[in-house]
Amino acid sequence: MIVGIDTGGTNVDGVVLDGSGICGTAKVPNTETRASIEEVIEALRDACDRFSIDRVVVATTLVVNAAVQNRLPPCTNLVIPGPGLAPDRSFFGAENHVAAGAVDHRGRITEPLEYDQEPTYDVRAVTAKFSDRNPELERELTANFETDPQAVALGNESGAGLTFPERAATTVANARAKPVFSAYERAVEQAIAEAGLEAPVYYLKGDGAMLGSEAMRTTPAHTIRSGSAASALGLVALTDMDDGIVVDIGGTTTDVSRIANGFPDREPDVSEGTLETAYSGITATSLPIGGDTSIEPTDSGFGLADERAGDAAALGGDVPTLTDALHVLGIFQAGNVADASAALRSLGGEPEPIAETILSEFEQRVGAAIESIQVEGPSPIAVGGTLAPILGPRLAEAHEAVTEAKIPGYADVAGAVGCGVARVSVDTAVHIDSHRGIKTITAVGSERVDSVQTGRQFTDKEVRQIVAEAAQDAAIAAGGEPNKPVQIQTTDGFSVVERGTVVGQIINARARVAPGIERWFEEGSP
Amino acid sequence: MTMGLVYHDAYLRHEHTPTHPERRERLQYTMDQLREEGVLSDPAVEELDPFEVTDEQIYRVHTPEYIERLRSMSATGSGRLSADTHVSEHTWSTAKLAAGGVLRGLEAVAADEVETAFVMSRPGGHHAFADDGHGFCYLNNTAVAIRHLQATTDVESVLIWDWDAHHGDGTQSIFFDDPSVLVMSTHQDGRTLFPGTGKVEEVGSGAGEGYNVNVPLPPKTDDEAYLEVVSEIFEPIAEQFDPDLVFVEAGQDNHFTDPITDLGVTAQGYAALMESAVEVADGLADGDIVASLAGGYGIEGGLPYTNLAVIATLLDFETKYIREPAIYEPPTETPDVSDVLERVREAQAPYWDLP
Repeated sequence: MIVGIDTGGTNVDGVVLDGSGICGTAKVPNTETRASIEEVIEALRDACDRFSIDRVVVATTLVVNAAVQNRLPPCTNLVIPGPGLAPDRSFFGAENHVAAGAVDHRGRITEPLEYDQEPTYDVRAVTAKFSDRNPELERELTANFETDPQAVALGNESGAGLTFPERAATTVANARAKPVFSAYERAVEQAIAEAGLEAPVYYLKGDGAMLGSEAMRTTPAHTIRSGSAASALGLVALTDMDDGIVVDIGGTTTDVSRIANGFPDREPDVSEGTLETAYSGITATSLPIGGDTSIEPTDSGFGLADERAGDAAALGGDVPTLTDALHVLGIFQAGNVADASAALRSLGGEPEPIAETILSEFEQRVGAAIESIQVEGPSPIAVGGTLAPILGPRLAEAHEAVTEAKIPGYADVAGAVGCGVARVSVDTAVHIDSHRGIKTITAVGSERVDSVQTGRQFTDKEVRQIVAEAAQDAAIAAGGEPNKPVQIQTTDGFSVVERGTVVGQIINARARVAPGIERWFEEGSP
Repeated sequence: MTMGLVYHDAYLRHEHTPTHPERRERLQYTMDQLREEGVLSDPAVEELDPFEVTDEQIYRVHTPEYIERLRSMSATGSGRLSADTHVSEHTWSTAKLAAGGVLRGLEAVAADEVETAFVMSRPGGHHAFADDGHGFCYLNNTAVAIRHLQATTDVESVLIWDWDAHHGDGTQSIFFDDPSVLVMSTHQDGRTLFPGTGKVEEVGSGAGEGYNVNVPLPPKTDDEAYLEVVSEIFEPIAEQFDPDLVFVEAGQDNHFTDPITDLGVTAQGYAALMESAVEVADGLADGDIVASLAGGYGIEGGLPYTNLAVIATLLDFETKYIREPAIYEPPTETPDVSDVLERVREAQAPYWDLP
């Protein structure tokens, strides 16, 4: 059994999946990480007859929120560029130091490390050019720090297939995200222990795959877009959508994402606030409007304030929200209509026209977001969130770009379902230099350097086998299960010739366990 | 500043023999460096796909008899044009794609699709004559591309600076009687290096007399001496010729690590040479300049850094950190080139006003 937990700005949603489908759901207010997660697990335990959990998968928007609100710590970015283009192409820190030393394209250390400055900040990123061919200089520099910094991220641990500037930016992002994520991760571990679970914990990446907690602690910038990825995966799983748009209407935000060939579509280089990464993430737009968004007077009337104020007045809150507008219009009746009406009136106008203006603004902005990421004209949408049954059909009615709105069962916990159906997938790069007798494997986490027989020649079949195994191993190291299908992305090799003799071979290959969805559901039924 | 980068994985298909100096990893190590530096993903760089040149484009330069010989040799899968210039099954199509790469770069610059271009193709072309090839060259990529440009655009005059360590005998012969294409070659003295031609006295013939400039340099010639040639010969002649476009046959085998030549240029020297070529193009040809990789066999210590220096200069990127790793020791000899310069001045005096 798998527990999926989606921690959003308003609620923490949970589901329990077993071999036959969803056996329990829960929704609790997001107050404090540890308490809320413990509470949601307890609620799930109560909802299920049997509760034997094999893993817990969590999606969090915490790093993203901290980045957007400028709450991440500054970082000293230490680069070891060696010869080449100007080092400032890789300056992504609040402070940037250049250390002497060089690794060349063969992974040889051609110049020794020299660094005698003192970093100002306690959060540090260390990135060498070609560290994907030899991580030694990065490790040496880190080992020489006089005091133990609060957080250190190394370029060779940041992932496969990155260029030097990309690796530096991504490593800075990981270093800066580490303190916030680590604190969160500890709270999750504690909550799960308190709730009496012994299952391993995974975190959803922004590309819709997941990582084990250790791998995510190393590369927490991977959580950018993980909230959108969770709901997109969940809505795909719940509706069996092949191509279209998914809309997840939460309390604080509404996420609009594109689905292509039965999986969330992805794009490279996702960034958030001052965090720049070269990681890929799902193609998504996150609008700062949801059910709890407050209503405010504007120059021309009334509008959505683009921030969450708390619960709707109809549900005991203080400030009028979108949810109150729905109450006033009589299309959603979960709370007290009179309170909703009074709250809107307090803004200085008749409640009904205000409510109509607000609802139409919401529909118009979500419609514009849908159109902005559609690639081939009108398409179906799948809608998640508590308000999905209310607002989904209206979106289809209001916009020609929407051919139909699918509202699956469990739409209100779609993000948690998405967590439960994710798979471990890690980009993996293998570089073999049999002249030097080495093989380097770059994935998430510490780079592996193995030896190979000097001078050995590999057939294409052997290369494919090696990279497929490396991708499997990397996925398993990141918490994945064995025997998942592997996609081999590239393989390339050539001979090394020295003084007229073939002395070895250089091979570059990349592969990954295919990202995928582990369980499918019939539309609307468990 | 946008630079077109012409490259295709198909350029790796052509092979002489497994241990030949002109091997595919000449391009691969450089591509490794460019990728790691972020050049390939830089918004200022536009990757341009080459295409194979057509028969019509080839026949503007080459004789049908030679082309038939080359085509059928490649079709049988083996043969050679000379002792070290092998023909394999992929040679014919790759040679057409290499010429098409240069053509693509030139067209893109002439049409303002990009501001400058670097062509990283192989096999090379400057030892290919109208009716024969040798020196690892099959089609004269440069000549095929320039002839096409002259036939189809308003580009009339082209200045070729062939700085490959080997004299570009094929290119010289094709344009020898043509005043519209000025071929200037700096190379290691033919008495010490293949192909042996490229003497100061070879100045062109007929209408092309005075439009061929050879500067044979002694072994070990270093950055400083090369820059002397630039300021005393290249720049004044370029200014008087006033080309519509500047083309650099960028042989990177003047680098001191090159195993088959004996010159002393460093990666910084390459940046300086390219800088002067760019300045000439900026001043005379609206900045229209294309560089195309020619020789260069110092595969590990030279090519990744010299190619980066040339490309960074075309992009107007900072080049002062581009150098060979410290494990490669630059030469300390500084041969005197004043004698060569004096002989060039004398030979070119009837045609150009040289200081």
